[in-house]
Amino acid sequence: MITGGKSYVSSPPAFSNDAKKLLICTGSSVSIFSTSTALQISELEGHTDLVTSVIVVPASSKLLNYCWTSSLDGTIRYWDFSVAELVKTITISLPVHSMVIPSLLSKSSENDEKQPDLFAYVSVDGSQGKEKLPNTLCGQIRKCNLTKSRMVGAVTLAETKKPEFVTSSPAGEYIGIKDKRKLRIWEVPTKDSERVFYKKIKLHHTKKITTFAFHPTERIVAAGDATGRILIWRGFGDKTLCVRDKSANEDLMNIDDGRAGVRGEDDADSCTTWHWHSAEVKVLFFSSDGAYLYSGGKEGVLMVWQLDTEKRKFLPRIGSPLLYYTSSRDPSISTISCSDNRIHILKMPSMEIVKSISGIKLPRAVPEVLDGSCNGLAFNQTSGVAAICTDNYCIQFYNLFDDREIAEVQVCERNHQPVDEVTVTISVVALSPDGCVMCTVENRLPEDGIGGLVSLKFWVCGSQSTNFSLSTIVYEPHRNASISEIAFHPTRHMAVSSSYGGDFKVWVSKNAIEQKDQARPINGWKCHAVGSYKKKPLTAAAFSVDGSVLAVAAETVITIWDPENNVLVAVIGESLEPISRIAFIGKSDYLVSASRGSEPQLSVWSLSRMCVSWSYKLHIEAITSTMGDSFFAVLGLFPKTSNESTLHDVDGVILLFKAEDPVPVATWFVRKARGGGLAFVHLNPESIEGNTSDSTPAPELLAYINNDHEYVIFSPHGDQLDERGISLRENHVMPEETGRLGYESIYGELADIKPLNNLNSPASVLPSGRPWETIFSGSSHNLPPFTKLCSVFLESLLEKRTTDVE
Amino acid sequence: MTSANIRDVLTSFSPALDFFAICSGDGRIKIWDTVKSQVQTEFADIGTAGSDDLIGGTKGGHRSVDYTCMKWLSLGKKKKRKLGSSLLILGTGSGDVLALDVSAGQLKWRVSDCHPGGVTSVSFPAHGSCIYTAGADGMICELDSLTGNLLRKFKASSKAISSMSVSSGMYENFNGKTLATAAAQLKVFDCSDHRKIQKFSGHPAAVRCMIFSEDGKYILSSAVAERYVAAWRIDGSKKKLASFVLAMDHPAVFLDSRCIATGDNDDEGLCVLAISEIGVCYFWSGQNIDELRDCKPTKVSISTSDQHSKNNGVVPTVFAAKLQAAAKSSSGHLFAAYGSLIKPSFEKILVQPGEDIKLNSSADGILLPHGQIKKGKKGSTALTQITALDRANAEDASLPISKILDGVNGQIVAKSGKSNELVEFDDVTHCMEERLISLGILSSDSDLSSNSQFDNTLLNGINLEANMPQKKMRATISSMVPGDAYNLLKDLLAMWKTRSSTGKLVLPWIRCLLIIHSHYIVSEEPNTRLLDSLYKLTKSKGEAINSLVQLAGRLQLVTAQIDKAANNKSQSFQPLPQTDESEDEEVEEFLYGEEDEESQSSSDNED
Repeated sequence: MITGGKSYVSSPPAFSNDAKKLLICTGSSVSIFSTSTALQISELEGHTDLVTSVIVVPASSKLLNYCWTSSLDGTIRYWDFSVAELVKTITISLPVHSMVIPSLLSKSSENDEKQPDLFAYVSVDGSQGKEKLPNTLCGQIRKCNLTKSRMVGAVTLAETKKPEFVTSSPAGEYIGIKDKRKLRIWEVPTKDSERVFYKKIKLHHTKKITTFAFHPTERIVAAGDATGRILIWRGFGDKTLCVRDKSANEDLMNIDDGRAGVRGEDDADSCTTWHWHSAEVKVLFFSSDGAYLYSGGKEGVLMVWQLDTEKRKFLPRIGSPLLYYTSSRDPSISTISCSDNRIHILKMPSMEIVKSISGIKLPRAVPEVLDGSCNGLAFNQTSGVAAICTDNYCIQFYNLFDDREIAEVQVCERNHQPVDEVTVTISVVALSPDGCVMCTVENRLPEDGIGGLVSLKFWVCGSQSTNFSLSTIVYEPHRNASISEIAFHPTRHMAVSSSYGGDFKVWVSKNAIEQKDQARPINGWKCHAVGSYKKKPLTAAAFSVDGSVLAVAAETVITIWDPENNVLVAVIGESLEPISRIAFIGKSDYLVSASRGSEPQLSVWSLSRMCVSWSYKLHIEAITSTMGDSFFAVLGLFPKTSNESTLHDVDGVILLFKAEDPVPVATWFVRKARGGGLAFVHLNPESIEGNTSDSTPAPELLAYINNDHEYVIFSPHGDQLDERGISLRENHVMPEETGRLGYESIYGELADIKPLNNLNSPASVLPSGRPWETIFSGSSHNLPPFTKLCSVFLESLLEKRTTDVE
Repeated sequence: MTSANIRDVLTSFSPALDFFAICSGDGRIKIWDTVKSQVQTEFADIGTAGSDDLIGGTKGGHRSVDYTCMKWLSLGKKKKRKLGSSLLILGTGSGDVLALDVSAGQLKWRVSDCHPGGVTSVSFPAHGSCIYTAGADGMICELDSLTGNLLRKFKASSKAISSMSVSSGMYENFNGKTLATAAAQLKVFDCSDHRKIQKFSGHPAAVRCMIFSEDGKYILSSAVAERYVAAWRIDGSKKKLASFVLAMDHPAVFLDSRCIATGDNDDEGLCVLAISEIGVCYFWSGQNIDELRDCKPTKVSISTSDQHSKNNGVVPTVFAAKLQAAAKSSSGHLFAAYGSLIKPSFEKILVQPGEDIKLNSSADGILLPHGQIKKGKKGSTALTQITALDRANAEDASLPISKILDGVNGQIVAKSGKSNELVEFDDVTHCMEERLISLGILSSDSDLSSNSQFDNTLLNGINLEANMPQKKMRATISSMVPGDAYNLLKDLLAMWKTRSSTGKLVLPWIRCLLIIHSHYIVSEEPNTRLLDSLYKLTKSKGEAINSLVQLAGRLQLVTAQIDKAANNKSQSFQPLPQTDESEDEEVEEFLYGEEDEESQSSSDNED
């Protein structure tokens, strides 16, 4: 089993003490990258759920490489990351969303003979076990004694609605959280112990605060809000946090008038506002000498403010919203994390991007207008490459086996501004089975009903498998209608696009047709055929495995075409809701379709009998079928209402079926299935070194990508891959639980109608399930003898009855 | 014209083939990402940094580091993406051996003055924990690959060793067991006790490259200025001659080989890959040794049509290749780095025996191809020629072939074909025509057909197929010119008469027309006839309603009784008459409610 596609930007990374390594939280592990080469060196594995924070223990010696990590699995762990070994585990059995250890940062604790206990402040989700009421405060700031490995009882600094991110000042004197429109700051006592009194203040603002930072030396705090303003409170907590004698305190009370910009009774000297960012401020950070303030916003620009003069410098065009800024002890290196799952290593005074660590692109925001009709995922089944639509109008090619990006192709020529409203989306992407042709559809959304444009683009790749170049662009391929699906012919250069406007078009590569008369081949694509069925919106399309048959779903019925001659061969019907996905099942003569809506349905149609073989009432997100044998797998979603506590977080199920058999061969429960993808992929032969027996075909593996673009590749048929030494991990996929838990609403099997082989006129197309209506149509000399026909007719009637009784 | 020479270029692929290290004599080592074709990282002065070396204390000291051999070692048995388990081993001309941890970007260890006079060759068994180095001093050193500690050392030759190789491969019994050294004479040693097993002579000059075949049965070697690859069979015999030679056009600088699994272990096939000095890749394969011996090489080279690069003095070459697992009996998958040394391209190539392959090198990424800028540009535009299609993209597309099937769906096919055709040459009038066909207007009475063209525009705002809200209806009617309204009334009446459209939908329109344009209609000359007919029609329908209502009442009574009498109902009887009757009923109620009155009033006016 291979897992990958982890997010690098789920929480802030941390530098090692010599700034040569960068510790990045990647899912349930911590990956260590080299800052000089941006390559992964090692990995800390042990947590069983998302790691939420990593804190490197500061040390003057370069040999000491220890770090603390906290995770949602309710443990805090202590590692020696130079050798990737776990030293200590503290179980606190509450999911930790954020952790700070302020006493590590204060320099006084070093060189002490008797080390005082080490305390961490953790932001936990305390709602577990309790009953969920709508207004309970789940987030708690608790204290944890790391030396004695236990939570400090009865110390809860704050309770918030959601677990908040805890920030500590660089010197470890203060910790704080943002709580909607206010900041809450606590002073950490210099001699920390289990029972201690905390001095605290609150600072108020009129807008929602999104991030804040402490000044390293002075009592200055900067906060950013949702509108792009930066507020700087100077001298916060003069009254409450500073220990002064009483007379001085009284003096201070008298000069109350000078507090410019400070709201209400807030305890601060002055408050100034800077406004440059046009959208939400996401990053704030003071330089280590306190002279500069770094700020980054949603628009993807890193700003440097000189604190005293407000002079500014920019690093523009980072291209996606910034999330975190991390500095190292080496003043020349720092990193910024971006929301496109990329970490840039900056060379510092000049703010120059030296290296980038990039992972799989995170799911993009799809405008609601097109929601449901967009599939931003395509797979190349033979090489295990996934094509992923990104926010900045690109397609990222990601090798699932190697867990690395291969290439990125810019589909639309336009600048991506993260703040702007999305006006163009790539709604469909498809890859040809040999991987050398890609097809994309982009929709320009109409403004006030004018100016919408659909364009279809064919891309071919050059000699190498990575660089796609545009070959053909078709404007308005189906007039104004948008395209529902694109399917590629398995062997030839042929594709079909089906549109909601009621027609489908078969496209072929010109190269394939007129090779002789052109000296230099132009790899253009052109329309080969047009078809429609009763002007119904065509919602899905698929080629059979050998490519001889094309199936196009016209709302509730499936039309079968001969793609070469453009002849309607047959019509199979009829489902309750419009069909959203269809697929041929391997080499068997079965077809599987899925429809959404209020009456979702997964149906398997027999092509030889032209009728439903079996069906389930199940909401299907994705279908994939094997090329060879007759297996197919579906990704089903549980209905939103059935939120049973037993299946916490699990919202989807992967079912593996054999075409003829309605009982699933295997079942896996998965998380975050909505918007996920599923595909059978082949293990590429060169990745298994030593296995030279090439006669056996490469095993087909099942790849599942969830909504967060984390993926898992596993063998659907048992344990061929167990030699890799990893069993199915529980946080991704629970091992098989047979039984029908969770999808209890199983549709009864529909009637199995016997084939009407006696009527051997090829044109007799029978709508499913009602043979008696058409059985006698046609001229009498065509009909088989009455004795033959009668029995069939009666038989079919009889069967119908019996199912009714059931 | 300068001929390309790749003799001095050191290249090495990473074990997983995802990185490629190249060192072209200036002391810099560039690590290329083979997937993305971009520089991942560069090592400039590792030889000197962080060490108290006398040679290069100053910056730019990398120039003095002269690498002589380079190989990429994978440490872990586990096949994982993590690069932490691989090291790049380098030998220098000054006799040092360096190990680079590429992923961490650091020097892992360094052995200074391992071989006085220079390191000439490094080799190691697969997944080995030790590294063998050979030098100009004729010694073989065995180093620990993790720490660089010297484990053992022995003298293999009194002369300088030019090449050395350790048997490695998937076969455990051969892996790391034997070692071969070569100057001009080949010597084979047992690794465990450094005993000489066999000796071959025949190379006239120093051997440049030498490898073991994967099964450890053969040694393949090629010497400087020697236009062939010689294969020597290791069997412990006294034979000193080469068992066969593979001829080339130019001397080889790099060799690789793979076994072809043929089933019987005794005599396995072999494929051999060699790269010549001028950057042409040769490939031989054979099911057995005899076949290999007679085999003609398949060449992989860069196509020479690119003139500009020749003038520039930079000839694109194939400068590194590695055989991947042989897929089929005689073809081979090879992963090659080619193009210019400044910007290599990487590609997986499937080599079929007998089919020479020409690769095209791209000039992308090379800044200002000298004097050929124009030409380069032209080429690039030709490459990126894009076909653009607009709305009329389906002009010569084939339409569905109409085919009448003897089923219900046969007609559908025909129809769908037809309608599609109409849409394709899409024109407003065509669309309207089609709509009218569906409405049945065009095929109606002959006296109406003359007006049909006019009606099209009339009926434009009127949708007779769906119920319209009254307000909308009124708005459309009142916006009409009275003459048009009159004509419309005529048409509607005819439609109602001929039952081409249901009365339920037509009647509201008639009513509305009568209310709004009553004055004009009355004043019109032949109105009497029209209104008369309307009156007659309504009256006849009105008369029918009484009896129908009676019939309905009776039926209801009867069905109620039946229901009461026997609760098991025979439903098949009920629906048929009921639906029939209810339809009529609805129509008539409309009439009674307002329409009749209206017509009455109009006729009053007429009087």
